[in-house]
Amino acid sequence: MSIHVENNLKDSTNDEIFKQKAHYIPCKIEEDGEANVKKYFEPYIVENTNGELSATFRGHSLDGVKLCLPEGYKAVLVTETKRPLSEDADRKFQIAGGLGDITYWNWDKKPSKNDSLVRALDWIDIAEAIHAD
Amino acid sequence: MDSLDALQDFIKSQNNFTNYINKSNVPDVCKSEPCMLGVDEAGRGPVLGPMVYGIAYCPINQKKVLESLGCADSKALTEEKRDDILLKMLTEKEAVDNVGWIAEVISPNYISNSMYKRAKHSLNEVSMNSAISLIKKSIELGANITEVYVDTVGPPEKYQAKLKEIFPDINITVAKKADSIYPIVSAASIVAKVTRDHALKVWEFHEGLEMNYKDFGSGYPGDPLTKKFIREQIDRIFGYPLLVRFSWSTAELVLLEKAAKCSFEEIDDEITKKPKGTQAISSFFSPKNERKRKRHKFFEERNLTMSNAFE
Repeated sequence: MSIHVENNLKDSTNDEIFKQKAHYIPCKIEEDGEANVKKYFEPYIVENTNGELSATFRGHSLDGVKLCLPEGYKAVLVTETKRPLSEDADRKFQIAGGLGDITYWNWDKKPSKNDSLVRALDWIDIAEAIHAD
Repeated sequence: MDSLDALQDFIKSQNNFTNYINKSNVPDVCKSEPCMLGVDEAGRGPVLGPMVYGIAYCPINQKKVLESLGCADSKALTEEKRDDILLKMLTEKEAVDNVGWIAEVISPNYISNSMYKRAKHSLNEVSMNSAISLIKKSIELGANITEVYVDTVGPPEKYQAKLKEIFPDINITVAKKADSIYPIVSAASIVAKVTRDHALKVWEFHEGLEMNYKDFGSGYPGDPLTKKFIREQIDRIFGYPLLVRFSWSTAELVLLEKAAKCSFEEIDDEITKKPKGTQAISSFFSPKNERKRKRHKFFEERNLTMSNAFE
């Protein structure tokens, strides 16, 4: 099985589509679909004088920080129009956009180097070391 | 501040998802003469809107000013009468020269956030902290406070002991229904109630809802308009606009039924934790799944799992 990712947006003049904002919320939300982030979440993001971010989700206080992707990496969103029935068939994805800005939120806890998401990115360096020629 | 409109403008100029303080000047006479101070709260029970703590203080020998203002059991006063008394406190010379006050507006968001902390912070703690900080503030501003009267819903003894510890030089009286016994507590109660009423009247939804208090009602869970609001104004993902106290069971139950399920990290409760080495008896009869290989600690700590690509 191989995976193809097509980028039909490569010649798009709309830069914004690759600079979308994403929020990593420390909560499992059992829903797949659009979210009214602009109205219900963003008005409550406050940056204090130390550059620390705070917000609120479902009554829970959140502490946040802007996350930097490792150098040389980009975050993209892909969609699949039709998932093949067979497990072995090739799969085809389309690039739907990209992220310019990821904000990482913790529930009532200042983000730190010890958070699992930040540490998960360690894997990128390790993978490079393992798979480098 | 010399009118209720000015009060409303002040409230509108504040962030309604954070706490804020509104206060009078400290009358000069309150800096020299020994003063009594009353503490009361408004909007403890409602599922909508802020809770407001109010204090009022005046010289001990000026009790008659409070009586001429009409400060009596605030629950027996109509909304118009309460508005009228606060207006007098803001404008009439005798009141302005003798009675000082401070109100803290505790936002519904702060209440939810406190009750949903990792280490839960109850409404009682929020209340007590507000009362203590307001008494401290009046002293910092120069008022000569020698007697404090506090209205409480809970048992007075513990509360009184705590205040006595923090303010050893002040005579403290904590009592149920202090509001109807001590005019200075009635005055504090009026400050709190009128502030809460107006905070609801000028509430602006950052979520862009075009609604006002005529639509969502008093905020008490029994109010039909409030009930309707709680049942209808739901966003599948975010739940409610921040007028709502998410931590109220009324709101929790409706969200459970009508919004997307959200689960936060579980906090281990020390008390409910089973002692180590105790296995449930049923576990001896369940099939063993020894074959599942455990992930290496490195991946486990980072929440990384192997998965088929793009699944």
